[in-house]
Parts: sequence; C-alpha cells; structure tokens
Amino acid sequence: MAVTGASDAEVVARVLGGDREAFGLVVRRYEAGLLRFAGRMLGSRDAAADAVAESFVRAYRHLASCREPARLRTWLYRIVANRCKSHLTRRPIADVSLDEAPPVADPADTEVELERAEQLALVQRALVRLSPEKREAFLLKHVEGLSYEEMASVTGERIPTLKMRVHRAREALLRVLEGHE
Amino acid sequence: MNAIDPRVHQALDGELSPEALSPELRRVVEWVVTTAAVLAAPLPLASLEPRVMALIRRPVPSRARRLLRWLATPRSITFRVRPVWSLALAAVVALLTLFPIGREGPDIGEHEGIAQFVGRFPEAQSVHVVGSFNDWRPGSIALEDVDQDGVWRATVVLPAGAYEYMFVVDGERWVPDHLAERLVADEFGRENSIVIVRPARR
Amino acid sequence: MRLWLGLALCAGPLAAQSARARLEGRVPGAAVPVVDSLVQRASGEGLPTEPLIQKALEGGAKQITAPRIVAAVEVSLGQLRDARDLLVHAGDEPPVTPGEVTTVAWALRRGLPDPVVERVLAALPRPPRASAMHAVADLAAHHFDPDSAADLIIAAIGQGLVRERLLDVSAAAAHELQRGHTHAEALALVRQELPNVPTSPKPTRSAVAKARRPAAPPPP
Repeated sequence: MAVTGASDAEVVARVLGGDREAFGLVVRRYEAGLLRFAGRMLGSRDAAADAVAESFVRAYRHLASCREPARLRTWLYRIVANRCKSHLTRRPIADVSLDEAPPVADPADTEVELERAEQLALVQRALVRLSPEKREAFLLKHVEGLSYEEMASVTGERIPTLKMRVHRAREALLRVLEGHE
Repeated sequence: MNAIDPRVHQALDGELSPEALSPELRRVVEWVVTTAAVLAAPLPLASLEPRVMALIRRPVPSRARRLLRWLATPRSITFRVRPVWSLALAAVVALLTLFPIGREGPDIGEHEGIAQFVGRFPEAQSVHVVGSFNDWRPGSIALEDVDQDGVWRATVVLPAGAYEYMFVVDGERWVPDHLAERLVADEFGRENSIVIVRPARR
Repeated sequence: MRLWLGLALCAGPLAAQSARARLEGRVPGAAVPVVDSLVQRASGEGLPTEPLIQKALEGGAKQITAPRIVAAVEVSLGQLRDARDLLVHAGDEPPVTPGEVTTVAWALRRGLPDPVVERVLAALPRPPRASAMHAVADLAAHHFDPDSAADLIIAAIGQGLVRERLLDVSAAAAHELQRGHTHAEALALVRQELPNVPTSPKPTRSAVAKARRPAAPPPP
C-alpha cells in the first residue's frame, strides 16, 4: 500500500507498527528544510548532513516518544536544533568553516547566478556572527517559517523570549550587512 | 545600536499590515524578507535517505562516528591535543586503580576509587567539575592550576561507578571534557563526559 | 552493596520521598511536582529513581527551562523502561534489580544496539555486568563494530576476566588502534593476549596524596 500521500500521523503509526521502510518518507519530506536549517546554523554542508542524518536516526529510534505525531515536523526541528547546539558547543563560531563561499567562477555561470551566490555568502557570513540563539531564532522564524508557538515547542523557550531574539537578530543582521553597503 | 522601528517588528511578526507603514519602514521589512529569501535557497546536497535508511537497517552508534571525527580533526578551541596523546591521557583519566595506600592520602574505602580530572584552560580564572557525583552542584569540586601553566587538575575520591560530568569554566561556561573518550547526550542538546571510577582495592 | 551502583540507587519509597526535598531550590519550581510524580511512577514500577533525580538536578544546574527539564526526565524514564524490558527479554527474572536497569540503560544511552546488549547479558547470566557493558561501549566509541566488540569482551569473560579487567581489554584494543593497527588487527592482537592484557596505569603516589572528597552538600 502506498504511503506517499499519507499524513505524518499515519506514517508514524505505520513505522511504529513495524513498517520500518515507511520512515524513508519522513526523510524525503523533511530533509530539505532540516538540511538548510542545519547548514545555516553550522555554516558547513558536511556538518549539516551529518547532523541531520544522525537526527533522523535518533528520531526513528525514539519515534514512540513523539507525543504529537501530527506535529512531527516541529519534533524533528527540535532534534536537529539540539544537535546543532551540541555541535556548536564543541566548535565555537570562530571555528565554523564557511564552505558556503561562492565557488570559483565558471565562465558558464550567468551573472545572475554569480550575484546570487555572492549574496548568499555575504548573508551567511553575517548570520554566523550572530549568537547561536539569535541565529536559530531568525532561521526558524524567517527561513523555516515556523510560528512562534512552533518555535517554543522546538526550543523550549517562552514566546516573549523568542520574539526578543528574533527582533535582535534582525537588528544585528542589519547592522552587519549595512557595513557592507 | 541600530534599533529597528517597533512597527517593522510588528509587521514582520504578522501583528501589523505592511501597508500601514511608511515607504521607508516598508523597505526595512522588504530587506528582512529578501535576506530570508536568500537564506531559503536549498543546500546543494544529495538526499540523505539512502544513508539514513542504511543506518536504521543496521544500527551503528552515532556517537562512534562523531568520536572518530573528533579524533581525526585537529582541535583548536581551548587547547591543541593530538589524538594519539588524547587517547593515552584519556586512558589515564578514565581508567584508574591505586597502589596500595600507605600513610599518605585519604582513607579510601573498599568500594571507592579515585578520579583524576584534567583540562587545559589557559585563560580561565576558575574551573570546576560538576556531575552526577556531586548532585550537579557547581562550585563544590574546584580544579587547581598549581603550576600556572593553564592545565587544571583535581583528584577526587568517589564511590566506584560511572558518572556523567562537565567542566564549568569561570563559573558560567559549561564545557565537556575534551580528553574524555566517553560522551553521552545530556538530553538538553549537549553532551556530558563519562568517567568510570574503579574500586581502589582491586 | 553492589560496586557499580555509584550513587545510592535504592528504588524504595524512601528514596522516592526524598526527591522533592532534593529538587526544591535546585530545579525551576514549575518542574518540581511533575518530576516528583515521574519519580514516584518509576518507584512504583520498581525502576531506579536516582537517574531521574540526577537528570532534573543537572537541568537545574545548567539553567534549563522547566518544560525541557521535564521532557528530559521523561526521556530518561523511557530509557529505564527500555532497559528493564531488555533485561526481561534477555531472561532476567522480574522484578529486575534497579542496579541492572541502570547498567543496561547506560549501555543503550552509549549507543549499543539491543541485540549486542542481549549478547553480553547472555554471556553474564548474573550481575555484575556494568564493566562488561562499558567495555563494549568503549570499543564501539572507538568505532569498533559493536558485534565484534562484544565478541572480544565475551571471549575475555570466557577466559576468566571479570569486572574492571574487562575495561583493560577495551583499553588494550584502543591502544592498538593508537599504535596504527586497523580495527581488525587490534581485535586479533588483543584476543591473542587474553587473558594477559596489561592492567591500566595507576596514578602516582603524589596524585593519590592530593585526592580529596567532594565538599558535603549544604543541609536541606
């Protein structure tokens, strides 16, 4: 029976019922967003791939403890956010590699693509200068599109605290990026 | 400090319509939206599904992979330790027995042993070790840097057993023991180190 | 008293009653009643309560918010239940002892797969098993295949090595890695040495002389 159109709650029920392979759908559904979040948090594609892959394995092993399967997405973000914090504890900001730098220019690249790559590198560098808490708050709110309620579930922080972090993140990014204009 | 107008924050939080803002403030809103759009580009990475499903089908401790990477990567956070040296030192720290105790030192009970905690924190003013052997009370076991060489040490008598712990530097910075080979998730998004205290009398 | 209990791990009602007293003032107020009820629940199930109290105290010390502390204690309780179920599945007669639940919970938290834990339990039908579990987990942490790691430790048990000497076996294998051998070579070399693996290095007399006990906690 195909599971591709199934809701998160249905997929979780299938996996917990013994259909291990159904977890592949969870991975396919959420890996892009989780990889992007982890990549922006850690400033490294490799570290992000490791963090998210390990998070998925952990999620699979502890799937029974996901109390609201309908909010699986939030639960997954929480696992990845925690793993990113753990990674950053071991490797503080100064050691984060910036392998998001634009690749060496290829004559085949259009001007638009080059400009986009440079913008991304610029913004990523500014993002890395934020504290992990502010970075996380900005990414969850503005890039991953979580509501403040969902962010509270991901981080365990109160909504007023999260709002303040997002506000300060916006201001800090503006300050850093204005220095480049 | 470049504070952004509160109305911009309200608009970005969905509490105010951007149409209600002046053109200047609306530009700030657009700037945040544009910045987020730049960051929303997906990472150019292959799907993780094959890797994740392979791991699920044949579980391998993820801790092992991270530790292997830790061993293979030069560290430059608070000190530089070659993996070869770290293994030897970790073996000393984590696996201790005692000479028969003479008159020196404390009276070690039959089911007690010694744990040696060592960490290099050259800039620190104070270092404590906090863990399940002291009810996670910060401040109860202080390390000392007797030689002023940045290497802090403490030797502690503890009941034999396995414990989780971290160092607390300058009363506020929680750091795992980089020399300890054993790590475990603390369920708070970080990792604790593990020390196994062996009974002294064997 | 079992050597590997570490801290007192009595799962009796007395320990459960003292939880609230230990938590108050150390853990955010909102978390205390919830954690206390989780401790009571564990006690009622015959599970060790000390790991749950320690997890809450740890969260308080690390200035974690109440909801996250509660979540972590719930995860810890789940791990203890998993450990108990594994012990029963492996053949330990219920009620399983709290000390053994803690031992197996350690093994699972350190990433050992269930089947590997069951193999070690089968090789050691009676406690204590903590050293054996940690020895296998130490090898797995050095990226030895968990099944091969269990093979080595089980072989060591078969050659009469017990308790902390099993940790010497895993240390010996790690040492061979450090000397540049592959994992397979390291396992083979250590297996050949059994049961005469080197004992772990001892601290110097001056280090022992400096040893002190942790400061006593303030009275409640």
